[in-house]
Amino acid sequence: MLVPQHNYTNLSSAAGLGMIGFNEDAIAVDYGCVCFDSFIYASRLCKKIVGIVPSSEKLKTLQKRLVEEDIKNYELVNANYKERHFEDVFDYVIINCFLEQLLTEIKHNKSIYFNSIIGAKKKDNSLEKTGIGFLQSACKGLRPGGKIYLSYANMLRINILFQLSMHKIMSFSLSYNLRKGLGFASFVKNIYLLSSCLLSQKGLETLLKSNGFVDIEKYAVFPDHKCPLKIIPLSKLDECSYEPVQHLYREGSLSRISAGVKRRVGRLIFMKFKLFDLSPSFIITARKAS
Amino acid sequence: MLYELITNNTHNNNIALYKCYNANKVFYRKAAFSHWGNKVIENEKKGYDWFYKDSETLIETRLKKKYFYELDIPQFKGKKFSSESVISGNEEPIGRIIDFYKGQWSAKDVFAIHGDLALCNFIIDKKNIKLVDWEHFHYSDKEFFGYDIINMLFILIEHESKRTFRLNKRNMDFLKKCYIQLIEGAGNNNKILEKPFQNSKDYLLRFKDRFLTNVSKKFVLAGSPLSVLEHLDSIVTD
Repeated sequence: MLVPQHNYTNLSSAAGLGMIGFNEDAIAVDYGCVCFDSFIYASRLCKKIVGIVPSSEKLKTLQKRLVEEDIKNYELVNANYKERHFEDVFDYVIINCFLEQLLTEIKHNKSIYFNSIIGAKKKDNSLEKTGIGFLQSACKGLRPGGKIYLSYANMLRINILFQLSMHKIMSFSLSYNLRKGLGFASFVKNIYLLSSCLLSQKGLETLLKSNGFVDIEKYAVFPDHKCPLKIIPLSKLDECSYEPVQHLYREGSLSRISAGVKRRVGRLIFMKFKLFDLSPSFIITARKAS
Repeated sequence: MLYELITNNTHNNNIALYKCYNANKVFYRKAAFSHWGNKVIENEKKGYDWFYKDSETLIETRLKKKYFYELDIPQFKGKKFSSESVISGNEEPIGRIIDFYKGQWSAKDVFAIHGDLALCNFIIDKKNIKLVDWEHFHYSDKEFFGYDIINMLFILIEHESKRTFRLNKRNMDFLKKCYIQLIEGAGNNNKILEKPFQNSKDYLLRFKDRFLTNVSKKFVLAGSPLSVLEHLDSIVTD
């Protein structure tokens, strides 16, 4: 007779990665290692996984967890890695919470993972140099045909646009006296490109394509990408049925009412009006062109 | 291939259910996210194999034993039912299901329990009845014939009465009819049908380990007070 056991780790929060279809001979890389469960899940299903960790504190915590889980097929790399070490190496790139990571970098005015995020001094204002050229790093590391997995919180798009715009405005103001307004056109174009990439779905797709990705699939995620309960592919909306996820609530009538309201609002927005652009989170998967 | 995540970790089962779109083919995939999930998926595969072993229609489920197991299940065509289904309006399919249960379960060499028989786990068309979600499948003794149907009726009553367990006369008459229909297929030593709702609760609690889940959290029947079960028993047996 089977008896329930509790000496196991439930990695259900990595359900988004279940859509990747990992190959057991593959090598994966996780930028940021934000979700430990995702890292462990990928390590279980791949030959090897590389984790690029932003801080020594996080490195220690992750190492401790990996020892507990008896995982050995991993390599943890300090964030100050040199990109040339990662060219055409990986079969999968995982970037969980990538807008959250980007926001942290902007706030601290530094670029840990993604080249030229901020402080780019280049005069060219093509997409990859507008401050969101992070996808280049990911693409470089992938083998042709390799897959990228990105997850992010929807509301952060506006937050990041604001932060990056402020940064651009500050940079522009500081250099205005020297350049006598010559860079104004470039400044406006930068802001426009940022808005396009961060606010419109098409813009983000263009950005991915311009960085060498194809077969781009976008998914609406509920209630959030760190612990998804429902994921809907946007290209199959006609065949998918949205049913409100059960919002967790603590004891108490107010919490119960709030969960009920969320369910009803969800039904209205997604079932009736199909406004999936307002989904709480998104996952994007794409393949590096062969 | 495109995926839709339908459910994830329901009742802490450590399993995600995906709908997979592969070119023109659509199928479902259950994927484990722990060793416990592996056990549950392996158990579900046993259930499908038991149920569809001598089936006229070929049902091919595929179990992939990677580090975390995956079970691919074909998409069945037919009418599906909501998880909040009630008795009213569903009398005809409920009657068909009871006949189907009597026929299918009696014909098997080894008796088994589905464990979560609910209207929403049936897919019905004019000719066929398909049954999914075998996570709680387990072998049992034939004297527990009827447990699954009583469990299904209990869920329907709960939804119909909006959890008050007060029913109108039409519903009560229908339940009695269901009971008479079911009892025709039971043997003399049946341990469920004398007091169907009370005995079903006893079975659930006595053999809770066989269900591979926390029965108190998943099944309302497990926590139902005796007075409610006595009331329901009196409706069908009197």
